[in-house]
Amino acid sequence: MTGSLIFRCIISSLTPKFPSKTNLLRSSRLTTGILNGSCNYCTKVKSKAVEKKHCNVGTIGHVDHGKTTLTAAITKVLSKDGFAKYVSYDEIDRAPEEKARGITINAAHVGYSTKNRHYAHTDCPGHADYIRNMISGASQMDAAIVVVAANDGPMPQTKEHLLLAKQVGIKYVLVYINKVDIVDNELVELVEIEMREMLTDYGFEGLTAPIIHGSALAALKDDQTEIGVPSIMKLLDTMDNYIPPIIRDLESPFLLPIDNAFTVPGRGTVVVGTIKRGVMKKNDEAELMGFGYNIKTTLSDIQIFRKSVPEALAGDNVGVLLRGMKLRNVETGMIVSAAKSLSLSNHYKGKVYFLSHSEGGRKKPVFSKYTQQMFSGTWNIACRIDLEPSMEMLMPGDHADVLLTLLEGMVMVKGQQFTIRENNVTVATGIITDTMQSVNVPDRKLGKVVINTK
Amino acid sequence: MIKILFQMIFQLVRNIHTSFACRAAESSLLAKLRKKTGYTIANCKKALEMHNNDSEKAETWLNEQAQAMGWAKATKLAGRKASQGLVAVKFDKQHGALVELNCETDFVAKNEKFHKMLEDATLACYKMAHTSLHSKGPITKMELDSEQLGNISVEGKKLSEILALFIGSVGENAILRRAECWKANSKDVKITAYTHPAPPTPSDYSCGKYGALLAYKQPTDLDDVGKQICQHIVGCAPKKIGDKEKDKPIENTDDEICLIYQEYLLDPSYTIQEVLEQNKVEIVDFVRFSCGESDEANLPGVEKQPLETVQTLQ
Repeated sequence: MTGSLIFRCIISSLTPKFPSKTNLLRSSRLTTGILNGSCNYCTKVKSKAVEKKHCNVGTIGHVDHGKTTLTAAITKVLSKDGFAKYVSYDEIDRAPEEKARGITINAAHVGYSTKNRHYAHTDCPGHADYIRNMISGASQMDAAIVVVAANDGPMPQTKEHLLLAKQVGIKYVLVYINKVDIVDNELVELVEIEMREMLTDYGFEGLTAPIIHGSALAALKDDQTEIGVPSIMKLLDTMDNYIPPIIRDLESPFLLPIDNAFTVPGRGTVVVGTIKRGVMKKNDEAELMGFGYNIKTTLSDIQIFRKSVPEALAGDNVGVLLRGMKLRNVETGMIVSAAKSLSLSNHYKGKVYFLSHSEGGRKKPVFSKYTQQMFSGTWNIACRIDLEPSMEMLMPGDHADVLLTLLEGMVMVKGQQFTIRENNVTVATGIITDTMQSVNVPDRKLGKVVINTK
Repeated sequence: MIKILFQMIFQLVRNIHTSFACRAAESSLLAKLRKKTGYTIANCKKALEMHNNDSEKAETWLNEQAQAMGWAKATKLAGRKASQGLVAVKFDKQHGALVELNCETDFVAKNEKFHKMLEDATLACYKMAHTSLHSKGPITKMELDSEQLGNISVEGKKLSEILALFIGSVGENAILRRAECWKANSKDVKITAYTHPAPPTPSDYSCGKYGALLAYKQPTDLDDVGKQICQHIVGCAPKKIGDKEKDKPIENTDDEICLIYQEYLLDPSYTIQEVLEQNKVEIVDFVRFSCGESDEANLPGVEKQPLETVQTLQ
């Protein structure tokens, strides 16, 4: 009796689901129909939205939880299919000795690819190390793999790891629970629950974040059971699917930094550069901006490799004829942007890292009102740095959020990198984090600017 | 026939359900214990198993074991390099303490447990500057190395024991590297301190990557410049005070190691000596810690390379 009751219950609970499912199907078909239709109108934009087959990932976690073993295991598993060169544990561990760009890169970089993508893998050793690598552009993470050992569970400093991920803007976090072979399933479950709670606490998608169980050491020993090699394959598959592809930015208004310019007698001035984002179309309204100037103009012709084209996309190297522009108005380092999309400012927020003395940086600390030449892209300009009021000084080797004031208005976008040089020596590198309202520079003297730091 | 089959399934379902509920209860007990104590999952489980899931007894046992486990962990990790961490100061007009605590990664140095550990150690040294120092000369200084620091007691517990507990909990090596305890023996000698980064509001306790203690004499009717000079010491890293008769200023002011000949950090148009004369300050002594410097000194590697061999893109 009870059995048939249950049976009936199951049936009744299942039945209402069916119509809703078909509904869903129908509606999704409808939306795809609409999408197909709309695709016809925007011809090139959608079809050319190519997937950039590259992705930056990093491992973070406690020193003993097997980050390096996992990295080594990934390369070993993939090396069998020829997708990677096997990098042994010792080789990764030695990597911190490497130096580049004058800034010590205290991180190991390993590259490998799956069927769909190429990955650059960073082993993140410390908070300050990572931040300065990020500022100087040496490493960047699109997603992070948090490695946690099943026998220890999350450690007190695990939240500091997640805070770092949050601070540098990582949206996608995967968890690899390592060493599951030395504890029973119950503990692994508990670790998983704790990790999900912690992820949610720090603003990640804790409930849906992929969590993979395995043993990196077993995988390294070529163990074919579930926790060995297959767990690594599962992790890689999840990375392919969970981390969305980076799409070239064709939606934003166009932006073209000028590398070079020359004049065509009788027609105007041609500016040359690589389109950073968006789509440039012939006869679009545009603005030429930089060094305090903002001149309205029209794109009367666009050429790619000396061939006239109706439009050009982000990533294309183009020559653009600006109607009625005088060559003397154009200077290397200016930008051409869609009309009214950007504005000039001489005041920005940024993150800077001052090189330590052993990296060739300054010996003495810097204070607010520090004024030196800033270099970014193809231009340079005098720039004043002001610290946050809570910071009294910055020592070489420190990184901090600062206010930047330029002698003249320039266009800088979020994420743009710059360096500060003093007596022809690079003393700091940084990235722009925000654009602020322009400030007045009295008598063209940056020292006289009154900075409102709140 | 069908009914019997269904009954069997029902039984099965119920069995699975009850066993699942039971296991859930056990895991939640484990989860609670772990959340409360913060010990590693494996240890929490062991504790519960030993005490028939009595969480109170398990907790007591864990706390008893923590010291031993901490020592075991500390011994195991002892050889590992620890050059991250923080330097802390605690001072009043007559006493000062400067302590360096190292760990392996700066993630740990950001954790509140680390801050608590450092504060405990600094307060212990500060107290010691009050009680245990004998008066001799203008100031009494006591330098402590790792071992001596570990032997200081706080509320009946040695600092080394507290450190072992800390190591057991974060699973990373940590070292109480060194400390300085200072006491001024006369009223006219003042002690001040500075750390970088400086705390947002002035405080008698602060910690950072760099720290310095300064003992000086200055008439009370003038503006106190002690803190500024201490900041200069942190910023410019002089090696010694320097003597007007014996030491000569060197040509490149950036490489000057004598405090008195260095350009004043807050106004490079003056030298420190001029600032001292203007404000009638006499420097008795100073000490500066840069976090991780004592470890770096013993290591072969990039940090010790002369500047010329470091290549930069210029």
